[in-house]
Amino acid sequence: MHSPSADRTTRAQRLIVVSLIALAFGFLIVVQLRSQAVVTRTLASQDDTSVALLINDLNRANNQLIQQSAALTQQEAALQQALVAGGTDSKSIEKELTVLREVAGEVPVHGPGIEIHIDGSIMDFELQDALNSLRNAGAEAFSLNGNRIVSSTPIQTRGQLLTIGGNTVRAPYVLLAIGDPDQLFAAAEVAVTSLQTRLQVDIGRKPDLAITEVITPHPLIYAQLGQ
Amino acid sequence: MTVLASVSLATFLVAGVAATQFRSQPLPPSNRFARDEALRKSVNGLEDQNRQLKARVQGLQAQVKAREDESAQRSSAAQQVNAQLDDQKVVVGLVALHGPGITVTLHDGTDPNNPADQSLGWVIHYQDLQDIVNLLWASGAEGVAVNGQRVVPSTSFFYAGVNILLNNASRITGPYTVTALGDPPTLTRALANRDQLAELKSRSRIYGLGLSWLRGTRLALPRYDATFLLRYAQPLS
Repeated sequence: MHSPSADRTTRAQRLIVVSLIALAFGFLIVVQLRSQAVVTRTLASQDDTSVALLINDLNRANNQLIQQSAALTQQEAALQQALVAGGTDSKSIEKELTVLREVAGEVPVHGPGIEIHIDGSIMDFELQDALNSLRNAGAEAFSLNGNRIVSSTPIQTRGQLLTIGGNTVRAPYVLLAIGDPDQLFAAAEVAVTSLQTRLQVDIGRKPDLAITEVITPHPLIYAQLGQ
Repeated sequence: MTVLASVSLATFLVAGVAATQFRSQPLPPSNRFARDEALRKSVNGLEDQNRQLKARVQGLQAQVKAREDESAQRSSAAQQVNAQLDDQKVVVGLVALHGPGITVTLHDGTDPNNPADQSLGWVIHYQDLQDIVNLLWASGAEGVAVNGQRVVPSTSFFYAGVNILLNNASRITGPYTVTALGDPPTLTRALANRDQLAELKSRSRIYGLGLSWLRGTRLALPRYDATFLLRYAQPLS
């Protein structure tokens, strides 16, 4: 038989135990909720790798913009100098025109770069990915099996056939890219990694490549100048 | 009493250890926050610099253009080549355009929160934008812009981690808008063709990813916000 004081002691003990367990569970639950909140915030914001890659690309782009500013300053000075001397610098304007024609793929070009041999069929998205990587590495001109490529050149897969600007191209493919050979080589090695699991792909640096094919621009029918 | 006290103490200690363990893993240490903050400040600073440099390039382009026009008034040779240059600037996207066309809008779908689905199919990727732009070029588009960034001959669709980048590291975020000038019915037919963009349309059904388009009678494309500089390619004489 228990005495009233012994019963009170037992109830007090149970209360303490229950309180401690509740406290422990409460602690766990709160910490778990906080942990989830942190994970959500981390996912919502960008991971360090993304941010680091973005910084790298921004640095590269800003350096290119600085170079563009320097070239424009020089061009403006040459034009101004000719005007002050009472003449004109038509060659400076011609030079700018030639650069824009090269960019649009309208004139044959040559220069250092890389040559990629792909011994098997590839899909449109695989070629697009490779071109994007090479453009990002500073490629200035492309051709694939004798087809000049700029970013507005449609690249599509119809059945198993790859078409470039409406022309069917068949394996083996030879992709030429003009630019800094070392930078293009490094970018190409990464870009063709997945292709190399099923195809023979060879990349070579070239001191001077020639891309002789050109693109004829389409006249504007729907678009008009100005905003 | 001794047993109960021991049990409760043990429970508390286990809970405490477990709680510490849980906290220590997902919660970054304070230096991690500082590093993240520093990285993000770097991005903001570089993006500010990027905008300033683009504005400087555009200012210098305007000055060069003024000198070229002045030269054209003095010499017939300069006038002729300057007229060709003006035409060429239209071809490469250095002139703003307007006209009829189509606007395609895309946005991310819903994360299924399914551990078995690691495809990220609910997210718009740079390849999706590339595929749409490629289809629009193939359908006769005369000019294209993505989120206000003009697509020019040297444009690459690329990524830096989760970021989609175009033209000189311009970071674009959803919702994405692709604007193309051209024949609206032709562009619409291409997008509606079920054989085109099949994978994107499938993800749209599965994940609720947004993909829609609208014809327009007067759409505007901005000019490219920088210029072109070639260091390696030379004209073949």
